[in-house]
This record gives sequence, structure tokens and C-alpha cells, in this order.
Amino acid sequence: MIDIYTEKKDSKDWIFQNDLYFNLNTCNEEMSQNEVELIHQVDEAKLMPDKRIETKYGLGTIRNLSSGCKTLLNLVKHPDKVVCVEECGPNVLKIIFAMDNIKIYMSRPSFADIPKDAKIRFNDSDIVIGNKGYNAWWSKEYERRKADDL
Amino acid sequence: MRGEKQMIYKNITFKAAPFSYDLTFDDRITLVGGDSGTGKTVLYEMLEDLRLTDEYKDVKLFNYKSDNLLEAIRQCRDNFIVIDNADILINDDVRKFINFEFSNQYMLFLRNCDGLNVSDKSFKVLKFDNNRITLEEEL
Repeated sequence: MIDIYTEKKDSKDWIFQNDLYFNLNTCNEEMSQNEVELIHQVDEAKLMPDKRIETKYGLGTIRNLSSGCKTLLNLVKHPDKVVCVEECGPNVLKIIFAMDNIKIYMSRPSFADIPKDAKIRFNDSDIVIGNKGYNAWWSKEYERRKADDL
Repeated sequence: MRGEKQMIYKNITFKAAPFSYDLTFDDRITLVGGDSGTGKTVLYEMLEDLRLTDEYKDVKLFNYKSDNLLEAIRQCRDNFIVIDNADILINDDVRKFINFEFSNQYMLFLRNCDGLNVSDKSFKVLKFDNNRITLEEEL
């Protein structure tokens, strides 16, 4: 199940500033082989054991990964947190929507390639299935926002 | 020049070996989107140096490290404003300022265009080809 929250909440269990959270916390954790592969998949970056990276732009450290890649790693490393995915590109969203047992925040629908059997729950309430259910939920949500003049 | 659309830079061209950037802007507001990992923040970091030159002194940069974005951006006139991490930084007030402060030009690393006066020429992605980096229309 993927939990999506669409209303902002001020809580220590929510991550909005993914770059900052990653640079201060996640980057200091050990990266598994799966995470090394995710870094390569998203940023085409090779992660060295000492947390330096090599990309087509040159050498750097793990803190030079893209915001989308950092968001993905925050999510993988901290599945208990609600992570804002609004800075993620379609390549990262595709990976996120293929995951399970994660909690994300988005205030509007993002273009995403969602598996047709993905189980998604909005705001701890409505459960929908796949891309069709996702789009239908957002259509209804936009009707609601329009009616409420939001 | 209030009330009129103004381009501060139609092109930004520079070399940063081994790369060369050739960026063309077709609207006062340019939104750079596309996949993650395409080099938006790398470009932002290049502009941190470039803005210190005479030619590009009108460039103003903001990202998640900037203090009080709204107050800072409200001081800008006749500037080329670049905002990285814009999806988490800009609120309705910043969007209003961008829409109505016509003396500035904007390059926003942003996906959510709600409330911005953009055209179909506003949407761009960074293209990396043989160490040459350009802005292309987002399909």
C-alpha cells in the first residue's frame, strides 16, 4: 500500500526539505546494494564506498546527488516518514509508485507511470487501484477544490 | 519597464570545461522540469560563479538555503531570477510577484505551474549531448 497525503502537516515525521534532510541525515547511513543501484538508475552515478560519487558531470560526494534521487533515498531509508515528492521527476516517481509500504506527500497530481495493480490510499481514507484509480481520485479532488473555491 | 514583458537574457552561453552551456530563453518565465538527475542543480552551481561576472551580474539566485525568499525576491528589479527547489519554496505570494513584476525574467526549476502566467514556450528540459548542454522544449 502507498499512502498519499495531500494536505500539508507540520510534523517531525514529515520531510519537506529533502536536500537538507538527506545532507544532514540519510547520507550518513550505510547504503545497501539496492540503494547503490537506485543511485545509478536515477542519476547515472557510481557510488564509491567512501560516499564519493562519479557522474557524467565529474566527481563529487553523495551530497551532490539530485534532489529527486535524495528524495527517493529518504523514502527508502525512512519508510516511517511522510516524504514530499513534489520535486521528483517522472523517472523517480515511476520507481516510487512501484514501491510498497511508503508514505508520500503531494498537493497536486504528478505525472507518473503507476502500475495498474498499485494499491494507493489517500489521506488515510480512500483506497484506489492503479493509474485509473489515481486519476479518478484526483479528478474528484479537483471538483471538490473548485466547489470549495480553493 | 513595468507592464511590458522584458527579457534580461535571451541567451546564456558559457564554457565550464569539459562542458559548454548554450541556453536560449523564449519566454519571460522559463520552467525547467524533466527527469531528476538531468543537471539542474549543477547548472545552478555554475551560475553561482557566472553571476560574479560583469556580463551576468543581473543574475540572482535562490535555493533552499536562501533566507526569506519572498522578502528577498521583492527587492529584485531588472534581474534574471533563478530559483532551484522551487516546488518547495514558492508560495502564492511569490507566484503573484513573478506574474506581475515584469521587469524581471525568471528561470524556475519547477514542476507545478499552477497560478503562473506561462506560455507553451515556458516549458523546458535540460538536454545533455556530447558535453553540450541546451534547453529544449518539454514535450
